[in-house]
Amino acid sequence: MNPKWRLWLAGGLAVAVIAAALYFPALRRQVYKVKDLSEQTAEQARRELLPPAPVNSGEPRVKAQMYWGSRANDGTLVPVTVELPLSSDPTLRAKEILNTLLAGPVDPEARTLPPDAALLAFYILPDGTGVADFSEALASSIPSGIQSEQLAVDSIARTLEANVPQVQRLRILIHGQEVDTLAGHLDLTQTFQVSMSTAGTPPAKSGVSALTAPIQKAYDKVKRATKRP
Amino acid sequence: MGLNMVVLDPAHGGTDLGARGTEGIHESDVVLQFAAAVKRALEGQGFQVIQTREGNENPSFDDRSARANAQRGAVFISLHIASTGLPGTARTYVQPDTTVSHDPTGLIPWDQAQAPFIPLSRKLGDMVQAELAKRFKGSPDVGQLVPIRQLRTTAAPAIAVEISSVVVENREDLDRMIPGVADAIARGVAQFRPSYVVPGMPGTPLVTQP
Repeated sequence: MNPKWRLWLAGGLAVAVIAAALYFPALRRQVYKVKDLSEQTAEQARRELLPPAPVNSGEPRVKAQMYWGSRANDGTLVPVTVELPLSSDPTLRAKEILNTLLAGPVDPEARTLPPDAALLAFYILPDGTGVADFSEALASSIPSGIQSEQLAVDSIARTLEANVPQVQRLRILIHGQEVDTLAGHLDLTQTFQVSMSTAGTPPAKSGVSALTAPIQKAYDKVKRATKRP
Repeated sequence: MGLNMVVLDPAHGGTDLGARGTEGIHESDVVLQFAAAVKRALEGQGFQVIQTREGNENPSFDDRSARANAQRGAVFISLHIASTGLPGTARTYVQPDTTVSHDPTGLIPWDQAQAPFIPLSRKLGDMVQAELAKRFKGSPDVGQLVPIRQLRTTAAPAIAVEISSVVVENREDLDRMIPGVADAIARGVAQFRPSYVVPGMPGTPLVTQP
């Protein structure tokens, strides 16, 4: 190959590399866009299969306590009183309460659950265990971290405790499945305690989240008992 | 035989980036930097330190626990950076009490491996948290009880430390926390050392010194 052709070839290759480098970010954006769209479509399809949430406009409006995050961003929950038409049936009531929790507070910063998450189903077992089945967005859209995952489950547990006394324990499923963790940290294979009253107790002082307060109390009781002569 | 080893667990890694924040900060990268500093501080206190990952790989929860479960006289510390919380604060987490199913052979099921160590884990968590609270204003005074998957299968005193957060104005804000976190963890573990007496014979229960 003569030097002139080599020059042309090198020039052509350089132009191709530059063009590819310029095109690559646009291509990547396109791929992510298509991926997001297909995920949204699947989630949308699942939601459309679900029966519509019951509307109890005929039910009397009652005051309900919702537990959303503190605006101080300090990992605590704050009770907020809202007026809602709530069913007297505990399962329907739990669904209405959790849908309100998912809809979020006025201040989006105080949200504890992702805005695109949906409650797919809720059952109450004869032993008082409430089983809440959420869409995949609960796991995939929640900010990653121990504190944020703890706050999410804590807000569900405390809100149920305040408004649906029939629910004493809580199991959380993601799209009908038992999963290992919520988003890589919080253990979802266990049943969480719901019926207790530690509302408003900042974890910073007690070291106890709403999920574990009864366990903490039991531990302290045993500890005190073993200290006695 | 006493406490002589610390298994450090920089969380996430590989395709799991963990919390993602401003300035392209990824939890999986930052925890490696924290782990390197914590390792030096612990070695300064005379501990042998091993890590569940040294680079950008992502061992499973069980593989990470297995690193600690294969040691004798070790404690396990999982390091995390949150995507929420007051920037410049740090929290220690410990597994809450769980019921252990009694096996006639005396063996503890893998998924309940943490259960016998919970009192020791709480002691370690409180000691480390007290040191963190001295250095990082706004942090809790005591460790928090939260069920964390990584801790459940770990057969050793085990805690998770989470630092807030990846959402900072400047990456330097997080970097500035590294020496304080490393020193607090090392001092907390050193204070815990006399509490942890590892039995010489297999099968004998762990003893917590008063």
